[in-house]
Amino acid sequence: MDELIYKLKQEIIEALNLEDMTPEDIDENASLFGEGLGLDSIDALELIVLMEKNYGIKLQDPTQGKEIFKSVKVMAEFIQKNRTK
Amino acid sequence: MTDPIYITGCGVVSAIGLNKDESLNALLNNKSGVGPLAYLKTEHKEFPVGEVKLSDAEMRKLLGISENAITTRTALMGMLALDEAMKQAEITTEMLPEIGFVSGTTVGGMDMSEQFYLDYISNDAHKEYISVHDCGNCSEMTAKHFGNFAFVTTLSTACSSAANAIILGANMIRCGEAEIVIVGGSECITKFHLNGFNSLMILDTKPCRPFDATRNGLNLGEGAAYLVLESEKSVKKRNAKIQAVLSGYGNACDAFHQTASSPDGEGAYRAMKEALEMAGINTTEVDYINAHGTGTPNNDVSESQAMKRLFGDNVPPASSTKPFTGHTTSASGSIEAVFCILALQNGFLPVNLNYSQAMDDGIIPVHQSTKKDLKHILCNAFGFGGNDSSLLLSKFEQK
Amino acid sequence: MTNKEIYVLSAKQISIQQPLSEEWMTNPTLYDVPFSRSIDPSFKEYVSPIEARRMGKILKRALATSKEALKESGLETVDAIVTGTGYGCIENTEFFLDALSKEGEQLLKPTYFMQSTHNTISSLIAIQTKNHGYNATYAHKGISFDSALYDAYLQFKLNKINSALVGGHDEMTETFYHILRKGGVMGFDNEICGEAAISVVLSDKQENALCKLAGHKIIHQQGIDSLKEKVANFLQENGKTCSDIDLILTGISGYKENDEAYLSETKTLFGDRPLLKYKNLFGESFTASGIGFYVAAQCLKSGFVPKHLFVNEKDITDKKPNNILIFNRSDGTNYSLTLLEK
Repeated sequence: MDELIYKLKQEIIEALNLEDMTPEDIDENASLFGEGLGLDSIDALELIVLMEKNYGIKLQDPTQGKEIFKSVKVMAEFIQKNRTK
Repeated sequence: MTDPIYITGCGVVSAIGLNKDESLNALLNNKSGVGPLAYLKTEHKEFPVGEVKLSDAEMRKLLGISENAITTRTALMGMLALDEAMKQAEITTEMLPEIGFVSGTTVGGMDMSEQFYLDYISNDAHKEYISVHDCGNCSEMTAKHFGNFAFVTTLSTACSSAANAIILGANMIRCGEAEIVIVGGSECITKFHLNGFNSLMILDTKPCRPFDATRNGLNLGEGAAYLVLESEKSVKKRNAKIQAVLSGYGNACDAFHQTASSPDGEGAYRAMKEALEMAGINTTEVDYINAHGTGTPNNDVSESQAMKRLFGDNVPPASSTKPFTGHTTSASGSIEAVFCILALQNGFLPVNLNYSQAMDDGIIPVHQSTKKDLKHILCNAFGFGGNDSSLLLSKFEQK
Repeated sequence: MTNKEIYVLSAKQISIQQPLSEEWMTNPTLYDVPFSRSIDPSFKEYVSPIEARRMGKILKRALATSKEALKESGLETVDAIVTGTGYGCIENTEFFLDALSKEGEQLLKPTYFMQSTHNTISSLIAIQTKNHGYNATYAHKGISFDSALYDAYLQFKLNKINSALVGGHDEMTETFYHILRKGGVMGFDNEICGEAAISVVLSDKQENALCKLAGHKIIHQQGIDSLKEKVANFLQENGKTCSDIDLILTGISGYKENDEAYLSETKTLFGDRPLLKYKNLFGESFTASGIGFYVAAQCLKSGFVPKHLFVNEKDITDKKPNNILIFNRSDGTNYSLTLLEK
């Protein structure tokens, strides 16, 4: 799990173009949106693309993202459970 | 109250017709032009679209353009609409050196670039299409088909491009820069923006349902429309027949987000308010609002709020005509302005098709065919980035 | 209509010369390559890294020049934001086109798309400066900046606005440069292709102005006789004769056909008035004329015209100019005249 979390952080940094950030800067329990990392609805769409591209998970409804993208940890758990690749 | 700007001709091409008569017939009979994809080559067959029911080759033929000519779909549709507008206003080629042309587009020649991009990078095939990629080229190509205009430029404010082209043309006339300016916009559907809107997850796989509780996104459309704007002096001089009056307009920026509208509809509110103030008209005098009404969850909430803020409990009858045509993006401002002129002239309220249940905090759109004498219509066009514009179109009444 | 005067309060550039500076006047950066990207300043001062995460170069440059221009103007806000851009955010457009062409129609990134529309620039400036005023974007080849200026100019005359932020922004990638060369759009002969980011603040207040915007006109090509008549009318409307014009700033670029047309047309239109150029330093782009505006405004403000701007050696002078007429000829299809006065 820790490995997946670390890899996911790297992928998030790349997908969202968070220049100057390292995986260590992201608290896996902190909220990705709003107060935490300060991401927004477009980032959520990018994360949906990331999940489909890298893990074969297809989300049809963007509002589903709200639950899944609560934190990196929650996202990793969801991926662990649902990944097809 | 400022000097009126007269509209002495208009032309329109969209999924519901190749001219005003066909469009009027569809609007009066609630016949939508949105359906399965037929012309655009894309994998995304799941999305209904409002395509103009002609291939590029068929359009070239109608326009008398040779088969081998370098053209773009946006320019071809523009030519069809411009031809109708010029004919109605009795504008001849000889008059063009005194006339301005302002057109709106965002896609420009992207329909060609997306087909030939890999060739552009690696070989010389189709390199003659490279120079038609940019938006300005589309306007130049459209204008040149008819002759030599005095002035040509291109607005590109995404889905409000054509509305802003109308505003620039009106300002030019009011400044005495020209007596006649032909304004509007054109945009074809491309794989590029179909995929773009899809990546933003705002396309509906079912026919769009603006202002409905179950709305789930927009359908893309395409088309073109142009209006001939003319000063009072010129109208008198050449005894031109007035179709309608552009009595006000407003442009404001929502300044909220690149792709989302603010919850309180600040930009929309300001644009509509400015249009009314310019015309010197009270909120109670507006007979109908042709809403931007895309059918995305976000737009329709925001626009409803803006209307409620401006009109209070007395929001005039309003509807979105996008279920007829799909969202014609950069051309929507002028296409819907022509629909408003048809509504003024024929005394009816266009129906908001596909509506069945009220959304939370939303307006209840016109959902039954209604005959009504109309004097003033607000026509909204909002673009990405909060580029919001509103036009006030009025019936011409001989004093 | 009003007779409202329009003043240029500030003008800032990021280009292939030193950014946000007038170092090009005395110490220009010279190029012997046909294409170069801009020299960028650090953007941290203008936009936080987290905010910048989705912004292409063109957007960061637009924010930097806009914020600097606003700061120098002393205005807290402006009534209108109008931008000209020939190709818009071409880098993101290219990313999206590339992915679409190579990877197909699945899994495309929304960020590339939402940044591909031309009006992203003007609306981003509005979002960042919380400006709900008039906002528009023009995309019309070599008169993209001029069209934006024209829009603002008309609104001053109609008394709709008292201030405006007008910009000209184009970026260029290596790939797109080669495509445009192939298509015969730009990159001819000895022409240098660059990128341009230019922001100017206009106001009806004169205080600390660089210069005055006395007149501005856009003309669509209808032959040299018609052009001659329209130029004469323009000068007359501004109470000038040809000999009152101190300097004419041209778009001579190193592209032979373009330069010959400039020389021959300026001779017909303005006789032997001294000619200047700026594209030798700043390069060619669809919004290069915005750089021309900036160059002319800075020359009028400083009273100094660097000798490397003169087309003909015989015209080089230390005399402070009172006015500069910017004569922009885009492909011989569109022309613009912009008269700046001290």
